[in-house]
Amino acid sequence: MNKSTGKCYLAWATDEKTRERGSSGGFVSAALAAALDKGIVERVLVLKKHGVFKGTPTVTSDPKEVLDSAGALHMTAINLAKYVDSDVRIALPAKPCDARGAIERAKRNQVNLDNVYMVGLNCAGTMHPVKARKMVKEIYNLDPDAVLSEEVSKGKLIIKTSEGEKSIKIDELERQGYGRRDACKYCSINIPKMTDLACGNWGVPHDRKATFVEVLTEKGEEIFKNAVDAGYVECEPASDKSIETREKIDQAMKKLAHEWHEKLFEPINKLSDSERLEYYINAFASCTGCGACKKVCPPCPCGEDAKCTMTEFQSEAHRIHMFNMVRLLHLMDSCIGCGRCEDVCPASIPLTMIHMRFTERIQKKLDHIPGIDMKKPPLFETELREVQND
Amino acid sequence: MKGFVPKIVAFCCNWCSYAGADMAGVSRMQYPPNIRIIKVMCSGRIDPIFVLMSFMEGADGVLVTGCHIGDCHYINGNYKTQNRFEVLSEMMNELGLEKERLRLEWISATEGEKFANMVKETVEQVKKLGPSPLKPVIE
Repeated sequence: MNKSTGKCYLAWATDEKTRERGSSGGFVSAALAAALDKGIVERVLVLKKHGVFKGTPTVTSDPKEVLDSAGALHMTAINLAKYVDSDVRIALPAKPCDARGAIERAKRNQVNLDNVYMVGLNCAGTMHPVKARKMVKEIYNLDPDAVLSEEVSKGKLIIKTSEGEKSIKIDELERQGYGRRDACKYCSINIPKMTDLACGNWGVPHDRKATFVEVLTEKGEEIFKNAVDAGYVECEPASDKSIETREKIDQAMKKLAHEWHEKLFEPINKLSDSERLEYYINAFASCTGCGACKKVCPPCPCGEDAKCTMTEFQSEAHRIHMFNMVRLLHLMDSCIGCGRCEDVCPASIPLTMIHMRFTERIQKKLDHIPGIDMKKPPLFETELREVQND
Repeated sequence: MKGFVPKIVAFCCNWCSYAGADMAGVSRMQYPPNIRIIKVMCSGRIDPIFVLMSFMEGADGVLVTGCHIGDCHYINGNYKTQNRFEVLSEMMNELGLEKERLRLEWISATEGEKFANMVKETVEQVKKLGPSPLKPVIE
């Protein structure tokens, strides 16, 4: 990783349509399109929108398609890291977990980070599409298929249909068991400091439609400068007040994440050792061995057949699944807590929470947080030391 | 538990700890016959999965042994073992398997006595703990 240049700007798209579509000034889409247009990158990985509940990862070389994808999708849960094909220079908008996934994949030689330009997005969490549909139906009393757009503003989730809009506080939704995914609730990495540019609406004055941009690396500066020079983006330096506000929001989100962590982990925390074993045995007992969690896992570089699937014996699985044991073991130094495994699990096993429990032990013991920098994972690291023979 | 005979799986590397076990035998040292030794070329060959598999197959305890740090026949095999052991022992802690069931020990070819004592201690400890909760139930 290059050293942070730490310059902060307020930026917005010049094109009015993009500015309108984007959730905060359309800077990200405009910068990605500009990078593609001027040949800094050859491909851009974006989420193609299909309504508000569905987005498909699409690799494109058409700046128009990039601009069309403008605007946040809070009600999809997808991690882009597995779709990064770094044979050519590629740019992508990256939430912290996308970026961390890409970095963990780079450590396993799946991604060449030299070719990857990450435009980071501040993230306070996403929602599971199935649960979000249910929420719209039951809490908002709206038809999920009639939803035209959604927006998160000042802690409220605003749902718009042709008949009007309705907004409810996210805290209130979460009290009723809806809202963000569990993994997002206790995730404390909201500003993607590991990417090239960190963008978001935190710190932007309320009356402005703009994006707060922090330039973090030389590659980030390249993208930012290019977007301004090509006329896609206008900018002004961010005021000290903006920087301060952003920092404050980040701290508040971290605190909230910590509280959720305590709350959601409490039922397991209070178990004794033998009770915990029983808990894990019961939790994994409903595993069908479908392998969906392995397929979507960003740090897992394995193909179809891997140690976890090859050592699994269904006939022995009534005690505990070897599949899950091997996955726990392999992810102990690399789980980024993105929550994808939990999302796709057909048996609704709280996989991410379980993985986080195992991972956090190693993180604490070895002071290693996965996906933040290119530091080698502990399981890869073998050092030779001089040994004094007595 | 009455009449409980623990099963201990011991992984020994070809160059040091297996020779250490040999030494214990040649020197006629007494130690409990509860262990099943699996010889591997190097302790670096011991995948943590082997240990998990041993527990699944009915082991009550697992011993991982290798050459002393710096003495590895393959230069750095036992460093790898050490890294893996650190991760594995944390995993055992979180799973709720007693950590006394798993032990890492460096044993050289001359340390027959250390080998015998280690087996004695482990068998006693595991006897106190009782059968492993992951043991298959045979009716």
